[in-house]
Amino acid sequence: MLSFLGSAGMVVALVGSVLLVVRGFRAARHDMTANLGGAAQLLLGGAVVAMGAMVLALLTDDFSLVYTATNHARATPFPFDVATAWAALEGSIVLWGLVLAGYTWFVFRRYRKHPDRLGAAALAVMGVVAIFFFGLMITVANPFEVCVQAVESGCAQSSPWPFATVNAPVDGPGPNPLLQNHFMMAIHPPVLYLGYVGMTVPFAYAMGALALGVAGPEWLRRSHRSTLVAWSFLTLGILLGGWWAYEVLSWGGYWAWDPVENASLMPWLVATAFLHSGIVQQRRGMLQAWNFILVISAFSLTILGTFLTRSGTINSVHSFTQSAIGPALLGFLVLTLVGSFALFSTRADIVATSPRVETLVSREGMFLANNLLLSVYAFIVLVGTTYPLVLEAFTGTQVGVGEPFFNRLAVPLSFLLLLVMGFGPITPWRSAPPGLLWARTRIPGLVGLAAGLLTALTVTRNGWVVLAVTLGVFVVGAMTGLLVEQATTRTAKTPETFSTAVRRVVGGDSTFWAGQLSHIGVVLVAIGIAFAANLGTHAEVVLSPGEAAQFKGYTLTFESPFRQVHPSKTIVGARLTVTRDGRFIGVVEPSANFFGSAESAVSTPDVLHRPGGDLYITLLSTPDNGAATFQFDTSPMIWVLWVGGLTSALGGFLAMAARRRERSASRVRRAADV
Amino acid sequence: MRGRGLRWVGYGGAIAAVAFAVVLASRFGTDPGLVDSPLLGQPAPQFDLAPLEGGDPVSLSDLEGDIVVVNFFASWCLECRNEHEALVSTADAFADDDVTFVSISYQESPPASLDYLATAGRSEVTHYLADPGSRTAIAYGVFGIPETFFIDREGVVVGKIIGESDAFTLGAAIDAIERGESPGQTVTGDTQQAPDG
Amino acid sequence: MSDRSRNIAVIVVMAAMAAVLVLLVATAPSETDRVQAIGERIKCPVCQGESIANSPSSMARDMMSLVSEKVSEGASDTEIVDELLASYSGAVLLDPPASGATLALWLAPVAALVIGAAVILWWRRHPPESAEDETSQPDPRNRRLVPLLVLGVSLAVIVVVAGFSLQDRSGAASGVADLTGQDLEDVSNETMEAVIAANADHPQVDGMRLALAERYYDIGDYSAAFPHYLAVAESANATGTQAVTALVRLGWMAWDGNAEAATAIELFDQALAIDPSSSTALYLKGQVLWCGESEVDAAVDLFQEVLADARLTPEAKTRVEDDLAAARDGEPCP
Repeated sequence: MLSFLGSAGMVVALVGSVLLVVRGFRAARHDMTANLGGAAQLLLGGAVVAMGAMVLALLTDDFSLVYTATNHARATPFPFDVATAWAALEGSIVLWGLVLAGYTWFVFRRYRKHPDRLGAAALAVMGVVAIFFFGLMITVANPFEVCVQAVESGCAQSSPWPFATVNAPVDGPGPNPLLQNHFMMAIHPPVLYLGYVGMTVPFAYAMGALALGVAGPEWLRRSHRSTLVAWSFLTLGILLGGWWAYEVLSWGGYWAWDPVENASLMPWLVATAFLHSGIVQQRRGMLQAWNFILVISAFSLTILGTFLTRSGTINSVHSFTQSAIGPALLGFLVLTLVGSFALFSTRADIVATSPRVETLVSREGMFLANNLLLSVYAFIVLVGTTYPLVLEAFTGTQVGVGEPFFNRLAVPLSFLLLLVMGFGPITPWRSAPPGLLWARTRIPGLVGLAAGLLTALTVTRNGWVVLAVTLGVFVVGAMTGLLVEQATTRTAKTPETFSTAVRRVVGGDSTFWAGQLSHIGVVLVAIGIAFAANLGTHAEVVLSPGEAAQFKGYTLTFESPFRQVHPSKTIVGARLTVTRDGRFIGVVEPSANFFGSAESAVSTPDVLHRPGGDLYITLLSTPDNGAATFQFDTSPMIWVLWVGGLTSALGGFLAMAARRRERSASRVRRAADV
Repeated sequence: MRGRGLRWVGYGGAIAAVAFAVVLASRFGTDPGLVDSPLLGQPAPQFDLAPLEGGDPVSLSDLEGDIVVVNFFASWCLECRNEHEALVSTADAFADDDVTFVSISYQESPPASLDYLATAGRSEVTHYLADPGSRTAIAYGVFGIPETFFIDREGVVVGKIIGESDAFTLGAAIDAIERGESPGQTVTGDTQQAPDG
Repeated sequence: MSDRSRNIAVIVVMAAMAAVLVLLVATAPSETDRVQAIGERIKCPVCQGESIANSPSSMARDMMSLVSEKVSEGASDTEIVDELLASYSGAVLLDPPASGATLALWLAPVAALVIGAAVILWWRRHPPESAEDETSQPDPRNRRLVPLLVLGVSLAVIVVVAGFSLQDRSGAASGVADLTGQDLEDVSNETMEAVIAANADHPQVDGMRLALAERYYDIGDYSAAFPHYLAVAESANATGTQAVTALVRLGWMAWDGNAEAATAIELFDQALAIDPSSSTALYLKGQVLWCGESEVDAAVDLFQEVLADARLTPEAKTRVEDDLAAARDGEPCP
């Protein structure tokens, strides 16, 4: 029944996307206002039904679906049973389809209000992407196959035909243990997908503009705004991923330059570059071709990332499946890249804009530097991730590329970016008079150096930390100086108080200041990483019950081992009390979780969150024979990293809201003019 | 003409994309985690390990002149259980031909391995050895078990089976070594990496 | 104080602060943990994408303790890493060297930075011709042809390459099921013994048993051949031909090896019950009757029956004819 419902949903969504392509292109070509509502409704409705059927199957323990039979168990508790809907390959494509349909709906709503050729063409392009994903669902990654031959907790044979005679297992093996360990796993993928799939919208507008042969500010405005949406979610998604890794993966880290992480970082870097270079086109009408390339790249990188992590061609923590989906994704990637670059070439005459950069010491120059650094950054991640694969394909030589490689290149590049980030906002457009630039640099520079000195004298003399603090304070100082300067100018001209003037300055260009908030977030991230990566400490200790160990001023006493049997898992752990200077601080319970019938255990660390830094305790060997081995880690200031990431995403969302306000305000103004 | 350079940028992008995709496509069906052992053709790493039940250690140099088959196993490894009978029968079959089988316990306490051997049965001519600190496993570059190494009479590693072996593959490798050939690396299936997943 | 001198003062202060900062950082006591640093360069072989320093797995911790031991023994970083790579291959090095096969990896980012900067400079100096220069419009059909061509060719290439790479790797593993289907010429007796012992219950093992038994039989090692012939004769899975062969050999070995004529004849009869036209069974039974039981007439009948078989080779025919003549003449068996 649910198989039928889900399959029907997929087919309806596919029909909707085909209709969207046909009608959208017709509307775009003949410049008529076609009714695209039916198609968009079919697409969204079908996607919602498909996702609903999936979730319902999991909630009702319907093991007639192969997906449920292989990824779910009766004992799987809420919310992990719902989260299982996107924990495995087929389900994650359903989520992808749903998010894509949702974004298409938003594009359609805009079109319904203001129908135009660009909107229709963009909807048609989104339809093409939707055809691929729903086609994928129906063919090689069908999540609604029914089980026709059950085996013990699993399924031996399946049929894509919803009415096939069902032979369902009584129970399933449950989801991948790593993925049912933390509530974060339930929200991390949807947020990440909101970012990933969101890159389709700017791509659709860009392709629509190229197909129609109408370049100029209009496509850019819409692409830019939708990139802001996707970027904000992607920022949040990457942050949640890092947080999940930190809380769950037992090594006290948050980022390992793993291919899956890299796959989300690459589009983020390119989207960040576009958010900046888009401003240049809006303000100065140049870099249009480059912006097209960035938008195409950001979208293609989301597909490439999905390919790399889902095709089994690269090993990684998250690459749990090898599947036939690889060739399909690769084919789509080629189609996307070749199609869009070919379109780009045929429209080269309208894409080209003349550079009007008087001097590189200008806001334009800063943006160019920013784009160069971000592009090279994305290139490094791409090359590092795929190099082993490419080299082995050509020479058969096997090499590894990992954290040390990426850190060595990414760290200096990140500091360069911080430097540009400090100078960018205080550099005027067209040409920066050296005097003005110096006047705006002077005080932030002094403050930054003072902060660096203070850090070196009181906290640590670690070079990376000192550099991060110096540059970070400089960046924040520079933007604060700018705010003060503009507010002071206002108070001189108007009777406003200083604080009102500050509010007015920020409100007058809220997009810009929201962007500066994101910059503050990035600074915090940089400082958090510098502290956690360079000042963390680490110890491995064997303790018997009753014994205590000293670690970084803390006293950790191994009170007792414990064993808890839950319906879905058995937890074997150790209870420790933590004191500092005789004062009780907390109890930690690092453990190993055994899920279902699986022999495999997942080590679950326990983290004591402290303002100065986290105390991170991992159980390395289970206390079956009395003594247990523990790993103690400190991660100083790691909360700064989380706060920074959230601030960055918040800046993005505020910029989005600000642009909405500006748009409606300008519409009101226009209406008043008439 | 305006934008001629950009046109070629577009074509360049498309061609680069295709070239990249062709390289990616050539990797389909390969296991990215599979590594060719650098030990093949090299002198076998020495070991000097005590039997699981204790007693006099067995070292590789004691076995000089023999063909030595070094197998890494554990009771928690399903593939190891599956191949156990083949290892026993092959060891017994070649007992008179100066072929010595050495089974080294991997990431498991000696009592646990002994319990397992007590139920699974053991070959009287095989050395079952403990590997404290996994030093020998590290020296042989074990990624996951079962892995089985073949050392010729000169002490050179000439073959490796990754995954579950069977009597035919084992015997054929020994036959090849007897003929003076190097069996090389064979992948028969999955390996397990650790008891805890 | 003038603007100018104030600026100079600020610059001097800044430079002084920067100098102190650099000095402080440069003279900071180095706390690099060599074991940890080496561990972060080595990929944990039993994990996915983690270094041995970061993995909680017991294998990674064993490797870390090895590294730590080597460090305390005074080995250099390169020595320790090289030793691990010698057994695990360069694929576990997370920190590829800036030489050899991975030199390009390090050069590519630098090249990208340089080329990017060069492009920006060039682009600023050489703006594309302005829109007014636009005079000719190329044939739009022609413009569409190129991308379509590129698209078609690329898809074709992808399909071909994917097809080839998938095909290459199919059927790499050899299962137990097809063991006995192998060409046995290069296979040693020991291997066959091992395979048979490990697959005693396998339905297809009789073929290999018979092949092995025949080898033993050919060199006259009856005691080695016997259990395998017996197993085939008793096997429920053996084909008729296999059973007949086994029974005939068992019969002949009973007579030739142990001089048990009655047992031999019983075994030949069993073979003949399965295949009444088996020339070998008929002939050997005749031999045993003639030589063992001295039943010359019965032997003569059997020899005649054998000669009636049209499939007999000329040599065999001659031999049977000789025996027939000798038996008829009342000569003792050879």
